[in-house]
Amino acid sequence: MRGRVFGRVVAPLILLVAAAFFILPLFAMMRFALQNVQVIDLRWSNLFDKWSLAPLWSAFSDDQFGRALTLSLKLAFGTGLISLLLLVPTIVWVHLRLPRARSTVEFLTILPYVIPAIGMVAGIMVIKPHARWFLNSDLSLIPFYVVLALPFTFRSIDSGLKALDLRTLVEASRSLGYGWIRTIVHVIVPNLRTAILSCLFLTVAVVLGEYTIADVLLKRTFPAFMGEYRGSDPKGGYGLAILSLVVTTLIFMIIGLVSRPKSARRRRARGTI
Amino acid sequence: MALIFTNPPGEGGAVARATAPFTSQRSRSWLGLVPFLAFLVLFLIVPAISVFSQALRGANGEFGFASMGEAFSGQNLDAFWFSITFSAGAAAVGTILGTLLAYVAASITRPRWLRNAVTAFSGVAANMGGLPLAFAFLSLLGRQGLGTKLLNGVGIDLYAGDFGLGEVTGLITVYSYFNIPLMVLVILPAIDGLKPAWREACSSLGGNSSTYWRRVGLPVLAPSILGGFILLFANSFSAYATAAQLTDNSKIVPLRIGFFLGGDVSVGEDAVGYALAAWMIVIMAVAMILYWALRRRAERWQS
Repeated sequence: MRGRVFGRVVAPLILLVAAAFFILPLFAMMRFALQNVQVIDLRWSNLFDKWSLAPLWSAFSDDQFGRALTLSLKLAFGTGLISLLLLVPTIVWVHLRLPRARSTVEFLTILPYVIPAIGMVAGIMVIKPHARWFLNSDLSLIPFYVVLALPFTFRSIDSGLKALDLRTLVEASRSLGYGWIRTIVHVIVPNLRTAILSCLFLTVAVVLGEYTIADVLLKRTFPAFMGEYRGSDPKGGYGLAILSLVVTTLIFMIIGLVSRPKSARRRRARGTI
Repeated sequence: MALIFTNPPGEGGAVARATAPFTSQRSRSWLGLVPFLAFLVLFLIVPAISVFSQALRGANGEFGFASMGEAFSGQNLDAFWFSITFSAGAAAVGTILGTLLAYVAASITRPRWLRNAVTAFSGVAANMGGLPLAFAFLSLLGRQGLGTKLLNGVGIDLYAGDFGLGEVTGLITVYSYFNIPLMVLVILPAIDGLKPAWREACSSLGGNSSTYWRRVGLPVLAPSILGGFILLFANSFSAYATAAQLTDNSKIVPLRIGFFLGGDVSVGEDAVGYALAAWMIVIMAVAMILYWALRRRAERWQS
């Protein structure tokens, strides 16, 4: 009896309250940015009046916007590329030759949680006087973003490799005369397409969301621009935040879509469903 | 011979035999990790050690704990207390509500998509943070916020007491936005690991629902719940970007570190900023070690 009350009344109620808690802040932000009605004047009757994307257009036309977005896109590209170059060979190597080192490597990839962005940037400030030639460049953020993204990127590549029969693939490729590099490029990478895609998307999400390091080092990335632009034009700043949220959410949804059907298919093939 | 020496005693032999062609040159295999390890050392370990090298430096550049002590006294100590208070509060709220939500999600059978929707959304929301999160809550619960107005309409004045988005209650509310979904992701596998057979065994031995939760359910979930609490605490304690938008004052440790790094302080004082960062890394390290150990324990029941 108690179970039924829980299922019929309590559970839906909890879900409803949760949905409200998670949706309301987003709605409020959208309304503030895109509806040209002050909160004080807001009634149920004019809730759908005067919505417009104009604040977003004016943010786009700010001359700093293009530069900030270009920098963030460059950072995302560099971070994704270096993450892949670093992780794919390393994790392949671990799976093939050092399976016992896997948990050690995994532990290392959660170190960015131990040394959070604010701790990391404190360290960068110490090094800065000795490495100005490097840190003065905006692109010097790339390696630090690679590190920040490690907990995500490692997991995506690692689970992709786990799903492969790596040993057989490599033995077949090697016995047919491929060297290590050609094996990775022509045999392993094509089989890892989904994992590589998630890895790249995750780095984009990390780069689009990172504010701490850029803020302290005074690098004008997209999130830093967003924070600054809000000062002069709140509506436009909030509009940019919505835009970055939409992009990030799409990224996570795409990752969910591309990585799920395959594993479900495999599970069905194994007969466990 | 080399094999025997490079392998720790115990399971080493069996592993070596099973993968003989690949592990015959063990010591050389470790070389494959060199690029990865070098990268980590250069861009993570060196900055971290640099923080400690500055934090453990006295006024005249000699080794000493003066800055570390100063970072844990006066206003700095207040900042630590404030950060620890709201982080613990945010972790407690996130743990309880996240576990509840995960339990609800796990018990839903009827609209089948609902459970997947909850997990998928949790994956997105757990990674939400930074500026957009702060903006969203500013427009909902700020002084001119939509929610503030709605509450006013039903006679509740949100700002009558000491509420503020940069205060303990406000930060707990805002951080719940990513803490609750993160807890759902952490605890859901553990809840799925509760086998129906255990409940049946419990009731056939004469136990009721509360016996089941007291003697079986909660003890099995305990490591995951505690681990989740620690993870959420660490998550809240180290967050910078969201807090930086919600409050200007530097009574939160990460913001205080940022303030010292900003360079508007006298020469000797910057060491205090590094000492704050060093303390933060120490606290995070302890938290993550505890989390790692608890996760190991929790995984025993998840097959």
